[in-house]
Amino acid sequence: MSGDPFNRLDPTNWRFFQSYHSWFRSYLMIIFLKVMGYVLRFFHLGSGATWPGEVFLEFYHRPLVYFIPKFKEGIIFVAGTNGKTTTTSMIVSLLEKSEGGKIVTNDTGANLLNGVISACINAYSWSGNTDFDWGVFEVDENSLPSVLMNVQCSMPNEKKIVLILLNLFRDQLDRYGEVDAIARKWEKALRMLPSHAQLILNADDPQIAYFGKSVKLKTHYFGINQKENYLKIKDHAIDSAYCPNCWNSLTYEGIYFSHLGIWRCDKCGFKRPPVANINIKSHLPGLYSLYNLYAAYLAGAAAGISKEDTEKTLSDFKPAFGRQEEVEIDRKKVKIFLSKNPAGFNASIRAVLDLKPKAILLVLNDRIPDGRDVSWIYDVDFEIVPPIVSVICSGDRVYDMVVRMKYAIKHWNNETMKQLMVEEKLSDALKRGLSMLNKRETLYVLPTYSAMLETRKILTGKKIL
Amino acid sequence: MNFKLTIGWLYPSLMSTYGDRGNVIVIEKRCQWREIETHLTRIEIDTTNRELESCDLILGGGAQDRQQEMAVSDLLKRKNVLKEMFDRGIPGLFVCGSPQLLGHYYVTGEGKKLPGLGIFDYVTQHFGNDKPRCIGNTIGKIDSKFEIRNSKFKNTIVGFENHGGRTYLGKDCVPFAQVIKGYGNNGEDKTEGAVYKNVIACYYHGPFLSKNPHVADWLIKTALELKYKKEIELDPLDDELEWKAHEEILNRMNMK
Repeated sequence: MSGDPFNRLDPTNWRFFQSYHSWFRSYLMIIFLKVMGYVLRFFHLGSGATWPGEVFLEFYHRPLVYFIPKFKEGIIFVAGTNGKTTTTSMIVSLLEKSEGGKIVTNDTGANLLNGVISACINAYSWSGNTDFDWGVFEVDENSLPSVLMNVQCSMPNEKKIVLILLNLFRDQLDRYGEVDAIARKWEKALRMLPSHAQLILNADDPQIAYFGKSVKLKTHYFGINQKENYLKIKDHAIDSAYCPNCWNSLTYEGIYFSHLGIWRCDKCGFKRPPVANINIKSHLPGLYSLYNLYAAYLAGAAAGISKEDTEKTLSDFKPAFGRQEEVEIDRKKVKIFLSKNPAGFNASIRAVLDLKPKAILLVLNDRIPDGRDVSWIYDVDFEIVPPIVSVICSGDRVYDMVVRMKYAIKHWNNETMKQLMVEEKLSDALKRGLSMLNKRETLYVLPTYSAMLETRKILTGKKIL
Repeated sequence: MNFKLTIGWLYPSLMSTYGDRGNVIVIEKRCQWREIETHLTRIEIDTTNRELESCDLILGGGAQDRQQEMAVSDLLKRKNVLKEMFDRGIPGLFVCGSPQLLGHYYVTGEGKKLPGLGIFDYVTQHFGNDKPRCIGNTIGKIDSKFEIRNSKFKNTIVGFENHGGRTYLGKDCVPFAQVIKGYGNNGEDKTEGAVYKNVIACYYHGPFLSKNPHVADWLIKTALELKYKKEIELDPLDDELEWKAHEEILNRMNMK
C-alpha cells in the first residue's frame, strides 16, 4: 500500500496514518508544481512545459513510476526522428473521439522526461484525484531509454503499453550522436520492456524493422506499398543502407525517401517484413504523411478502437502546429512545413514542389533546439528546386543558407541569382514573400524548429511554449 | 586552354556523415563558374587503384564508427598509392573524422588501437565518453602560404568542430592553423589540423570550404598547377555571400 502513496487509502489499514502523511506530502508537491507551471506560463518566465517535471525529477529516481498506475487503460509512446508530434496528435484525436476519456499528452513538443512528467503534473486535478484513461507521449530519441526504464517494472499486465518507432535519420549530430549509436541504445532499452508490451514499427526503415527481430515482443509493422512513388534519384542523405543484421550493404527494390523503402539483404536474407494492409484517404500532402497516418492507425487498433472510427477520425485529421499548418493573411496564404533535418527537409521540399510553389522561404536557425551545427544543409538536395521558384533565405544563419542555395543552382547567372533573396529579419522575409504573390496564392515556409515557432509568432501573434 | 580536374571523393557511401559533401559541391561549382571542367570519381571499396591514381585532388569526410573501420581497412591496402600521390604534390582536404585515419594510430573510446596510414606524423586518442567532446563554432589563423593571386585572402578560417578524439602532432608536423577560438587538435596546444606537402587535415566539420572560399581556391589552383606544370591564375569570383557567412562567425565570436 505504502508503495503507492497517491492512492486513496483504506482507513482500516494500520499504516493509514503513515501512508496518508506520505500521500499528502506528494499531493502538496504536485499541487505546488502545478501552480509553479501556471505562474511560469503566466509571466513568461520560462517553460511551464518542462520546469515542474524538472523539479519532480530532483525528488524521484524513477518519477514516471508514480504516475503510471493512474492511467486506467495504458500508455502509448511515440519515438523517431521525424513525425513524432504529428503522430502523437493523431493518436490523441483518435482516442478523444472514440473513447472520450481523459488523455494526458505532451502536446507542446516538450518531449524529454521532464516534459512527460510536467504533462502528468499539469493533468492532475486540484483535489489530487486522477482519472486518466490514456497517456500518449512523444519521446525524444535520447530520452527514450530513460523513459522506458520507468516502465520496466511498474506496468501491470492488464494495462496496455504500446511503443511506436517511426524512423531514425541523422539529426543534430552534435546533440544526438550517430544514428547507429542511438539504435544500439534503443535496442537495449526495448529489451527491458515488460513482455506484454506491443511494438509498432516502420517496416520500410531497416534499423527500425530490425527491432522486431532482435527484441521478442508482439510486433505490428506499417509501411508503404506504392511502386509508383519510388524515387527516381536517391536522396543523398542516406543513413542505413547497411543491413542491421549482418552489415552487408542492402539492396532496394525501390526507395520512398532517404533510406526508407522496400529493402532486402542478399547476404543474410533479412528483408522488409510484410506490413498491415491499411486504406485511408488523407488530404495531407507529402508521401511521408502516410507513415504517421499508418502508425496512428495501428496504435488505434492496439488501443481497441474500431476500424470505422479510426478511418473516419484520421481522414479528417488537421496537422499539429507548424506541420503543414496554414495561416491566411490578406487573402494570401502562408503554409509552414517544419524542416529540421536532412530527411525532413528533403521530404518537405518534395511535398512543396508538388504544390507548384511560386516562392519559398527557408529559415535556418542554430539555437539549441535546432542544433548549433548547420553543416547538415549540405545533405539536403536543394538542387531539385527548379529555377523558376523564388527562394528567400532568412534566420540566424541566413548567409549559410543563401550560400548553400547559391551552390545548388544549376546554371548560375544574373537571372537565376535574382531568384535568390536574402532577408536577415524574418518579419521582412515574410513580408517580401507575401508581396510577391497574388491573392489566393501561397508562400511556403520551410523553417527549423525555433524558426518555426518564430514564424508562427509573427503570423498569428500567438506564442506557444 | 581548357582545364580539367578529376576530384577523388573518398568513400562517399561510408564517410559522408554530416554535410561533408559540401566540400565536393564547392570545388565543383567554383570550377564550373570558371569553366574548368570537373569529373567526380567516387572512391569506394571496389574502386581500382588506377582510378584513384587518376585523381588530381582528394577529398575525405567523416564516418560513423563502424563505417570508419570498414573504410580504414580498405584504405590501409592503398597506403602506398596515396602516399606516393601526396608526395608528388596532389592536394587534399580531410575534414571531420578522416584526419584520424592519416596519422600513425587512433585509440578509440573503448581503448582499441587502430593503425592509421602514417602519412601524417601525429597520433590520436579518444579518452572515453567521460571526457567531453570538443564541440562548437571555431576560428583559426592560417599563414600566407594559402594566399593566391586574384582571390581575396583573409588569414582566418571559420567552421564547426565536433570530435571526441584528441590529436597530438609529432615534432616536425606542421599545423594547418593556430586556434583563435575553439579546441583544435586537442584543446591544449592551440594547434588545428596539420599540413603534409599539399594535403590539409583538420577537425573542421562538414562543408568547411563553403565559408572558406580562399582555401577552396588554393586547392583548385594547386591541383591545376601540378597537373599542367605551370603557373595558373584563377579567374576572380564574386564571393560576397561566402565572406558574409565567414564574417558572421567572426562577429559572433567577437573577432571583428
